[in-house]
Amino acid sequence: MNTQDQHGRGRRGRTGRRPGRTRLLAAAGAGALLLASGLAAPAASAAQQSGAAGDGHGDKVLTVAVAQSVDSLSPFLAVRLLSTSVSRLMYEYLTNYDPKDAHAVPGLATKWESSPDKLTWTYTIRSNSKWSDGQQATAEDAAWTFNKMMTDPGAATANGSFVTNFAKVTAPSPTQLVIRLKKPQATMTALDVPIVPKHIWEKVQDFSKFNNDKSFPIVGNGPFVLTDYKPDSYVKLKANKDFWRGAPKFDELVFRYYKDQDAAVAALRKGEVSFVAGSPSLTPAQAASLKGEKDIHVNEGPGRRFYALATNPGAQAKDGTKFGDGDPSLLDERVRHALFMAVDRKTIVDKVFQGHAVEGQGYIPPRFSSYYWQPSAGQELAYDPAKAGQLLDQAGYKKNADGKRVGKDGKPLDYRVLCHATDPNDKAVGKYLQEWWGELGIGVTLDCLDNVTDPWLAGKYDLAFDGWSVNPDPDFVLSIHTCAARPQTPKDTGATDNFICDKTYDQLYAQQLAEYDPAKRADLVKRMESRLYDLGYMNVMAYPNAVEAYRTDQIESITTMPSAAGNIYGQDGYWSWWSAVPADSDGSSGGGTSTGVVIGIVAGVVVLGGLAVLFAVRRRATAEDRE
Amino acid sequence: MTSAETAEAAEAAESAGTVAAPGPRALAWQRRRASAARFWREYRRHRAGVVGLAALVLFALVALTAPLTVGSDVASVTDAPGQPLQSPSGHFPLGTDQFGRNLLGLVVWGSRVSLLVGLLAAVLSVAIGAVIGITAGHFRGWYATVLMRVTDWFLVMPTLVLAIALATVLSRSLGTVVLAIGVTTWPTTARLVRAQTLAVESRPYIERARALGGGHWHIMSRHVLPNVMPLILAQTTLIISSAILAEATLAFLGLGDPTVVSWGGLLQDAREAGAVSSGDWWYLVPPGIAIAVVALAFTLCGRAVESVLNPRLGVSR
Repeated sequence: MNTQDQHGRGRRGRTGRRPGRTRLLAAAGAGALLLASGLAAPAASAAQQSGAAGDGHGDKVLTVAVAQSVDSLSPFLAVRLLSTSVSRLMYEYLTNYDPKDAHAVPGLATKWESSPDKLTWTYTIRSNSKWSDGQQATAEDAAWTFNKMMTDPGAATANGSFVTNFAKVTAPSPTQLVIRLKKPQATMTALDVPIVPKHIWEKVQDFSKFNNDKSFPIVGNGPFVLTDYKPDSYVKLKANKDFWRGAPKFDELVFRYYKDQDAAVAALRKGEVSFVAGSPSLTPAQAASLKGEKDIHVNEGPGRRFYALATNPGAQAKDGTKFGDGDPSLLDERVRHALFMAVDRKTIVDKVFQGHAVEGQGYIPPRFSSYYWQPSAGQELAYDPAKAGQLLDQAGYKKNADGKRVGKDGKPLDYRVLCHATDPNDKAVGKYLQEWWGELGIGVTLDCLDNVTDPWLAGKYDLAFDGWSVNPDPDFVLSIHTCAARPQTPKDTGATDNFICDKTYDQLYAQQLAEYDPAKRADLVKRMESRLYDLGYMNVMAYPNAVEAYRTDQIESITTMPSAAGNIYGQDGYWSWWSAVPADSDGSSGGGTSTGVVIGIVAGVVVLGGLAVLFAVRRRATAEDRE
Repeated sequence: MTSAETAEAAEAAESAGTVAAPGPRALAWQRRRASAARFWREYRRHRAGVVGLAALVLFALVALTAPLTVGSDVASVTDAPGQPLQSPSGHFPLGTDQFGRNLLGLVVWGSRVSLLVGLLAAVLSVAIGAVIGITAGHFRGWYATVLMRVTDWFLVMPTLVLAIALATVLSRSLGTVVLAIGVTTWPTTARLVRAQTLAVESRPYIERARALGGGHWHIMSRHVLPNVMPLILAQTTLIISSAILAEATLAFLGLGDPTVVSWGGLLQDAREAGAVSSGDWWYLVPPGIAIAVVALAFTLCGRAVESVLNPRLGVSR
């Protein structure tokens, strides 16, 4: 599904896996030297282009360092955050979200209304939006896009869930789009589907294979037009001067892929990039060191993600087949609550995130205030190891002589926790879990894997680190815990997060989807969150903040979302890049660059000289042995 | 005379109380003592080797006494004494890591894992190499051909890539790392040992032993092994240093057990915490230097041992 990215599930590229001993040596000795002198790696490559300084034609270029590569440029296939963000920039959606409070605002559609029976939605399509090849964007394009997704399974790969409830989509006139639903659907003003130009895309044969990366520039009608792309390297976009909302201030936008976050931060320091997004955010140490830097602004906003510990509830397919090997003791709600209570969420926020996160409670982050829910005093599963121990005693898991909890069958409680090898937070929190649950008498094995998808889908885990980005409309993140999201058979892949299936929850889900009144719907969503909390399958530990940094000598201003203290990269909309204003000053990093080069050359000469002396000495020493 | 007979003869001689001349066993011990003393005299003349040995003794002492000096509590995250990433101070001589743990303690504690894995992996690697080398040199024929082709194959495979592949497939634990290093670094040892075995087996006394009815096992264990042993010892010392480096590399690449404290793991933690770009040098330098020093010390010792046992190598002191 669209801008959601499941935390680590095939989302992020592997970081820093370049084999070779040179890396180690660099870290061991040379790295330290370089660092201590404040001349990190880019000294050697300082001659490369510098972010907004332009490339000679006076073009204002905004370079963004991203930690993710593009999975596909086709909006029908793209699921990663970077790719969907790029789709946002290339194509208009029917509606957009307001940068202040994320309510629906006009996009390609100028207004919309539903019929009294809640089943027919009529959108008015704007007549001042043109494709970049000069053709007019019409309702026909939108209708064709939706119809394609409804009829071609290949085109439904990424956003198919939006159209499963559509009965018929028509375009009676170039400015009118009519969608007929099977059942009422509350998400009709939050359809995150890029509308593509029919006259280009109807030539595509196989939507499941077409990646939209063969001919450039790619025809679109968003604020930017994609002009160049190199896999695992960069995505280049040019400003669309005819964009209906107004042309972007920067002439060019480049997303440059950095495998290593430290390298990206160093590039920001040298002015090679204007913005660093981090994956998913800068580390506390990086943020702290960048805060003191001149011309660099560290932006911290409430995140869209929640960071949770998901429990395997005994994986089951829709056809009733049980599979996987989740620990049966986790089926006992008391055990789940005990595990919940033995996690000190405050310590995780203070120590692991070092304050760059908000303590987790309900399922939806506080940023989305209308859906944010907190447990009541009596309901809250606060940190209380003593009570957790009592709960486990009641559940029949008593401590034995060695201090280990054992069940009635004499088997000790030992849980495997699935963690993402690429995410340092998982490993750090894992260390705490080992000690907290160890005190309780529960053994913890951390299974840190590069690819957690396989054991995850097979249900072969006890607990797992989990996390999703939440959209302004919470429908999707709620839908992944319904029974219907489970796979049809154990062999299939379902949309489910961790196989939760609860009747009460499902009823509430259906109710909220059919509720068009925002206040009533929000109330239903909160009841769902409450139910999910009580079940104890999802322990939301924190809402990590978005911590990102940009150069103020290259970007003068940029819109955050929410506009008061929000994030910049990965917004619901194109606000940040569309609104970014270039700074006047040019080449401010010139001085630093030349000193860096000079020192680099001097160091190189010294090293070479040393090697020459060493070589000469060796030659003399072995002169007698040689013939 | 077999050893059993020798022993009997010696016992008989002792029990009879007629110890006019030392028995064969005592003679053997005398000879060994003498050669050990000679070895040590020779070794002492290699100054670099002595320095390396001193460094190793120091590190071994630090690692062995770690439970008394720092204790396993040093790795605990919940009882971490300091604030995250504090720079070195009187209280924390090497600063703290991202959890607020004492880095000096962690480096001391990490030496245990790094040294242990290095030693075990080297022993495993040399053991595999020695067995393959001796049997290939002894049996010759198609057996040796097949084994040597396998060895060649391992020899041309990039070691680190193979080790990474193994460590990725298997579950993350110390045993996996030992195995991954051990089974990828043996081919050079196998080649060396086979060459020495061929040289030993061409000596006339092997032919005599065979003529007297010595079987394969007897020849390999009684005559070939003692003669290739010096080579194996020198090789082990040299491989330990590369095994420690390999362990650190794997841990640094995130392929070690994340819950175990090791030097490579500390470097990996530092990188993940962003210590490289934020200039927290105290997180990176101590484990890095420790790895470099131990690897250097083992190499110095190995070179010294090698040149003592084989003066023709002409290794400079």
